Amino acid sequence: MDKIELKNLLLLARINAKEEEYPEIIEKLKNTFVLIDEMQDLDLSDLEPLNNPLELSNVSREDKDKNRNDKKKFLDNSPESDKDYFNVPKIIE
Amino acid sequence: MNFKELRGNFRAKKISAKEAVVDSLSKIKDDKLNIFINHFEKEALVNAEHIDNNFEDYKDKPLSGVPIAHKDIFCTEGLLTTCGSKMLENFIAPYNSTVVKNCLDAGSIMVAKTNMDEFAMGSSNETSYFGAVSNPWNHDLVPGGSSGGAAACVSANLTTISTGTDTGGSIRQPAALCGITGLKPTYGLVSRWGMIAFCSSMDQAGPFSKDAFGCAALLDAMASYDEKDSTCTKRRDINFEKSLLKDFGSLNIGVIKDIEKLGINEDVINAYETSKTVLTGLGHKLIEVDFSELSSGICSYYVIAPAECSSNLSRFDGVKYGFRSEGENDITNLYMNTRSDGFGDEVKKRILIGTHVLSAGFYDAYYLQAQKVRRMIKVKFENFFKDVDLIFMPTTLDQAFEKNRKSDDPNRMYKEDLLTIPANLAGLPAISFPNGFKNNLPIGGQLIGNYFGEDMLLNTTNKIQEVTDWHKMTP
Repeated sequence: MDKIELKNLLLLARINAKEEEYPEIIEKLKNTFVLIDEMQDLDLSDLEPLNNPLELSNVSREDKDKNRNDKKKFLDNSPESDKDYFNVPKIIE
Repeated sequence: MNFKELRGNFRAKKISAKEAVVDSLSKIKDDKLNIFINHFEKEALVNAEHIDNNFEDYKDKPLSGVPIAHKDIFCTEGLLTTCGSKMLENFIAPYNSTVVKNCLDAGSIMVAKTNMDEFAMGSSNETSYFGAVSNPWNHDLVPGGSSGGAAACVSANLTTISTGTDTGGSIRQPAALCGITGLKPTYGLVSRWGMIAFCSSMDQAGPFSKDAFGCAALLDAMASYDEKDSTCTKRRDINFEKSLLKDFGSLNIGVIKDIEKLGINEDVINAYETSKTVLTGLGHKLIEVDFSELSSGICSYYVIAPAECSSNLSRFDGVKYGFRSEGENDITNLYMNTRSDGFGDEVKKRILIGTHVLSAGFYDAYYLQAQKVRRMIKVKFENFFKDVDLIFMPTTLDQAFEKNRKSDDPNRMYKEDLLTIPANLAGLPAISFPNGFKNNLPIGGQLIGNYFGEDMLLNTTNKIQEVTDWHKMTP
């Protein structure tokens, strides 16, 4: 991974880092991939991937409104809100 | 006083819920180990009085009159819920998690919330925004993680029960390092609703207590079918406390072949060998199982867990709740600076790993391959359970280690979870219990059961604890 790739990755993850921090971050990520890459030698071509241990089927319910959450409680946790809305910086110029 | 004695005294009216709470809170306020993020004196006293005033309604409940501490990953209505992060330093949960509600309904009184690795990412409790927790047996050492505060709380006798969560070993590893009993249930037995998500396909809440009895009673309270969690399973109608009295007869127990090749500390292996003689003394038959693929579980875990965490933690953006960086006039900068300032280094690292393995061009090589390793581990266990009822292995490679441990191996901390991760990947239940001491520090042994076999795990551990004293040791 080089600096350009890391910059792109940081943008995808919506995380900021100063350029002088890049070498340390790259080093840490590389070290973790040394551990992860140990699995690349395994031939698992005949196995299906497993994304949930219980291989559950989906649960559905009737499309009825119930247990409506208290809007005020949720808005009170927002760093900035106004009436029924979350406030964010202006998006459209 | 252990859980059984305390609950018995409440039921016999030898102690009131209020007296139990006052006693627990006085010890909590004196805590020097940084075990707690918050305690709730006013709320706990009100709740205790309610239970005392309605004694007949509560006396037969599984946790009647007993103070409890919850890991600060569980949402508690109207109270701070931080998940060990600056991101949620001021977050007041709008509702109770199902676990907290179930424990409340079962007659327990929440007195405090325990410290933890930030968003449950860590094996030493050192990644918490609120500082590291000390091990009650030696204050220079870590208690394990991520549920380090919850394990230390019970180990130091501040409460007799506490809740934790286990994604890659976060209940069992701190239980081992603190000398107590901790159970990770089958994935889906306990509702995850209101439990802040790290890796949704592995996260599972479970109980801590000194012994299997306390864990059984707490699991009776915690486990329930919950339509609010679509991965929660309709359980068999089973009472774990009563199952302690059941006779499961002589079991076939799998023990690890060539265990000395796994890099486990000699003292831990000695304790393991001694425990094997305890198991045969109880009439069980030991059968060697070959688990040479064990280490590939770590590779799979450190792809899948960061992948799911990168997705789950995308909700922390400084808009809806939690921390927001000041003075941003652009939405992308607001997201990026909020997340840079609000998350700690370990969390950011795992988000980056997860984003990388899910990105175009890397998905097949990493995420898909990791899911295939997960399948391989699950199939391996399925084959084991054709021949054995339980599998026995050490919980950890080592005993508790020093804070800020320096190692030549940059992945040393991740390897702490070598022996606990396979049960998470497969979704199997597993229990850690104290099975030895060396240098006045506890050692943990681990039993892994088949799906929804918590009754057999608790029963077997209880039988071991009837003939051993490791769980009675106190720091």
